[in-house]
Amino acid sequence: MAVETASVDAPAADDGDVALARAAAGGDGRAFEALYRRHSRRVYAVVWRLAGGQAARAEDLVQESFIRAWQALPAFRFESAFTTWLHRLAVNTALMELRSRSGNEDRETDDAMLEHMGTADTAGQRVREQLDLERAVATLPPRARAVLVLHDIEGWKHEEIATELGMAVGSSKAQLHRARNLLRKRLGEDHERD
Amino acid sequence: MSETEMLWKLRQLPREIEPGRDLWPGIAAAVGQPRARSRARWLAPFALAASVLLTAGIAWRAQHDATAVPAVAVATPATSSKPTPELPATRGATATGSMQGALAGDANRSRMITGTVVARESRAVTDEYQAALRQFDGAPLPAEVAPTLHALDQSVAQIRRAIAVDPGSVFLLEQLRRTYELRLSLTQRAVMG
Repeated sequence: MAVETASVDAPAADDGDVALARAAAGGDGRAFEALYRRHSRRVYAVVWRLAGGQAARAEDLVQESFIRAWQALPAFRFESAFTTWLHRLAVNTALMELRSRSGNEDRETDDAMLEHMGTADTAGQRVREQLDLERAVATLPPRARAVLVLHDIEGWKHEEIATELGMAVGSSKAQLHRARNLLRKRLGEDHERD
Repeated sequence: MSETEMLWKLRQLPREIEPGRDLWPGIAAAVGQPRARSRARWLAPFALAASVLLTAGIAWRAQHDATAVPAVAVATPATSSKPTPELPATRGATATGSMQGALAGDANRSRMITGTVVARESRAVTDEYQAALRQFDGAPLPAEVAPTLHALDQSVAQIRRAIAVDPGSVFLLEQLRRTYELRLSLTQRAVMG
């Protein structure tokens, strides 16, 4: 079941964004800092989830995203909302890092780890720590997690996700199905333990 | 937990999370130098266009002068590269007086022509340099160069007023050209960082 999530754009705030972005594109560092103050929490939230809840990685990704934004701003044509442009740039930065880290072997390791955790939980050997939804998402395999975060939390379409992740649309749908099943299983197990 | 319930909970996750530390200092330190290069690349075509525009204008003026200046030089014995022809010894006082009158008339005519040429040149120089400077309209300039640019603009205004009073001054025309040249050069350097 697909859930339409709210757009990342905030029209009320975008008017100010345009002026700030134009100033920043012209070299105004204070305007760029204002953009950072406006959007860093939103950017951090998405890259933190894509990074599996690893704060240090997420912080690095936020910094890299804003540095890339500064570099790219002079070429930004304002054909889309600044927030959309910035968030896509941040997601792209995080996914590039994800691809560089996770080869097939790594993904299998993540999958195996998740399955092992589920088995261990059923056997009662898992650390007795109640996982909230965020932590459950963070334990998903990287690509499945990325698809779930972008589709179910960020509201992206499968076509957009497939383009960013370099996969077929069908693969994106399959990864989402897999991610939801794994997530539901984890959450169900948590409830069983409550 | 049903899928619907799970998806609803996913949508309720916070859309904003505060980073554990202020990440701006690291960003600010990293973005300073690269942007300067980026801005230079962005303005490089404008700087080149300004230079080409100015060079073309000056070249056109130089070519135009090649036809205008000889007319002035021929009419001005004192500044002519050719020596003034000696008067024939057989000519009398009347002939000499007539010649002096003719020379005085030539001198007046020369000053008028020189004035016209200098006035026309000063307008052309002003138009050409101002067109070149307009290429930088809106470009961010460091605050520290503003006083110098303002002083140069004032000098330009003073020289143009002086030329209006003394339209035959080649010296003032040259000063105007040099001041504009400095103004443009400084603007280019300030913009290019």
